Amino acid sequence: MALASRTRKQNAAPEKSSLISELVEIADYIAHLRTEIAALRANELTRDRLPMAHEELGCVVTATAGATNSIMTVAEEILSLPDDANYRSAVEMRMNDIFEACTFQDITGQRIGKVAEALRNLESRLSRFAAAVKARDEGGIDPEEAKRRKRNELLILNGPQVKGPATAQDEIDAMFN
Amino acid sequence: MALDLGMPILVVDDYQTMVRIIRNLLKQLGFEEVDDASDGTAALARLKNRKYGLVISDWNMEPMTGYELLRHVRADEALRTTPFIMVTAESKTENVIAAKKAGVNNYIVKPFNAATLKSKIEAVCGA
Repeated sequence: MALASRTRKQNAAPEKSSLISELVEIADYIAHLRTEIAALRANELTRDRLPMAHEELGCVVTATAGATNSIMTVAEEILSLPDDANYRSAVEMRMNDIFEACTFQDITGQRIGKVAEALRNLESRLSRFAAAVKARDEGGIDPEEAKRRKRNELLILNGPQVKGPATAQDEIDAMFN
Repeated sequence: MALDLGMPILVVDDYQTMVRIIRNLLKQLGFEEVDDASDGTAALARLKNRKYGLVISDWNMEPMTGYELLRHVRADEALRTTPFIMVTAESKTENVIAAKKAGVNNYIVKPFNAATLKSKIEAVCGA
């Protein structure tokens, strides 16, 4: 009985030491995780950068729509001008309106640049975080994304191609001739 | 056979600027009777109420796409012979083949110009 008790005590010592070292490791990992989460600066992203990106892109959409509208209105006006002695001066005056409307490109370019920078920053923080915590993506995809993909597949929605049309108009024409 | 400039044309696109562009191009070509709809569902409602000589439709719209609209039109006894041109940024060969199988009369890839639109209308409605 005394021997058994002594043996248990001798075995318990390394177990305790192992447990302590595991707990220390866990504590270190939690501390590391907290540092990495802090480095993500998630509050700053959700409070400042992402709303800024939304707002800037909204402004871009509004500006491009406004410019397109102005240019089209001028073009429609030109098309309906009477063919008289004042035609040239009337067209020139409206051309200036078109040039003015085209200035949207400078501002929208700057806005898009800000959004691209915010996205680069987000990408860099996320990839650092994923590497630091050795994150692995969970299997499967988000149900909303799955639904969207299924619709796109079913209705053959590929969207515009990055480098222009995937099939040239001539090739399409050949399929209909 | 000359084009019937008096025929009503239905332009289906969810992007109002594109509707305006096509409307202006059609006006330049001499067509004055142009209606529009912002997706397939709205287009079908219009097609039930008026006989159109031509439908010019985008592909990617919600809730009903142009591809679904085309299949509805071709499946409907009263509408199945309506000429249908797809005008879209969907330029993959699989899209063109699917549209052709579904019965589209012609296919224009965006961006396009007035000459392309004119030649396709002539090919579809002037023959």
